[in-house]
Amino acid sequence: MRALITGLMLAVLALPAGALAATQGERVKIKGEIIDTWCYFSGVMGGPDSVVGSAHHTCALWCAAGGIPVGVLAEDGTVYMVLKYEGDDHVTGGDTILEVQSDLISADGLLYQRDGINYLVVEKVTANDGLVNLSHEDYDVIPPFAIPKPKQ
Amino acid sequence: MRRRVQVFAGALLLALSGPAAAHDGVEHKTPEEAAAHAAQSKAPESKASGVPPPLPEAALPFPIEIEAAFDLVDQTGARRSERDFAGKPMLIFFGYASCEAICSVALPRMAAALDILGDKAAALQPIMITVDPVNDTPEALAEAMPKLHPRLLGLTGSEAELAAARAAFQVEAKKLHEMIDGTPIYSHGSFIYLLDGDAKVLTVLPPILGEDRIAELILKYI
Repeated sequence: MRALITGLMLAVLALPAGALAATQGERVKIKGEIIDTWCYFSGVMGGPDSVVGSAHHTCALWCAAGGIPVGVLAEDGTVYMVLKYEGDDHVTGGDTILEVQSDLISADGLLYQRDGINYLVVEKVTANDGLVNLSHEDYDVIPPFAIPKPKQ
Repeated sequence: MRRRVQVFAGALLLALSGPAAAHDGVEHKTPEEAAAHAAQSKAPESKASGVPPPLPEAALPFPIEIEAAFDLVDQTGARRSERDFAGKPMLIFFGYASCEAICSVALPRMAAALDILGDKAAALQPIMITVDPVNDTPEALAEAMPKLHPRLLGLTGSEAELAAARAAFQVEAKKLHEMIDGTPIYSHGSFIYLLDGDAKVLTVLPPILGEDRIAELILKYI
């Protein structure tokens, strides 16, 4: 099953070239959760429901700190790759948005659709509801080693 | 579980369906409905004048207008600038040799994409620009780069030279801490830049793409 889910994820990232090639940004309002795109799309840590929210928060922090691009998972399931984030001139991937990792945000931004990938430039975060997806209640910590157990 | 997969697949398909897809949490059943909703989402002045409003300074546009510039040293000790690659497309990633995070995903995938493309990308120069000049000396890069790919060029330099290169590409890098053995951990931007023969950025590639997709996109642009 994990392979199937992973296959589906890879299928999304394997769109026909030029399908949505656009260079002009579209103004959009997005509401969604800041996610770790690597664990979400690769499936290496589990299914999509388990690698979002509080269950995956620690791992997501590590991934973002390590340079893995973050995304916004909208309520309809669309994933937006965050290219730039409010007030920062850099292309994201550094530690700029560590503090909002796993938070549910609402944002105004510019959407660039290129090669089937949704790139989002977040102009302004209009609301931050914080970490409201309490997925640890269903999944505990994903992966479990993200929070090492103290030695006995 | 099957239902969850179906729901998930449906959500993914939304991402593929262009104008008919929801873009702010509202699902559109037809392209016309999506277009109408998109129009409502635009700023009022945009609708009134037909001219997009100017972008706030904080939100730079898609970094397609970047013209790369760097003046660094490769793993043989030779100075290298973007002018050395005139007429050749480049594939550039900012990382460091000891990185076990995103570099260990992005660099092998870049290398695999090169192998997939073979002669079709013979002119393409793959480059890693280090964010760790202390450890990534020319000698260290000479040992590390060939392990990833024989054509991968490692570039290093002084802190100031590397900072200038990062600024040109709008890349952020910051040393977070050191492991017990002294290995540094850096936070750094990780999008892969594809440049044309004039050192102009053609597009950026998320490093989480698979090597087949990276190869496909490279071939589309070069």
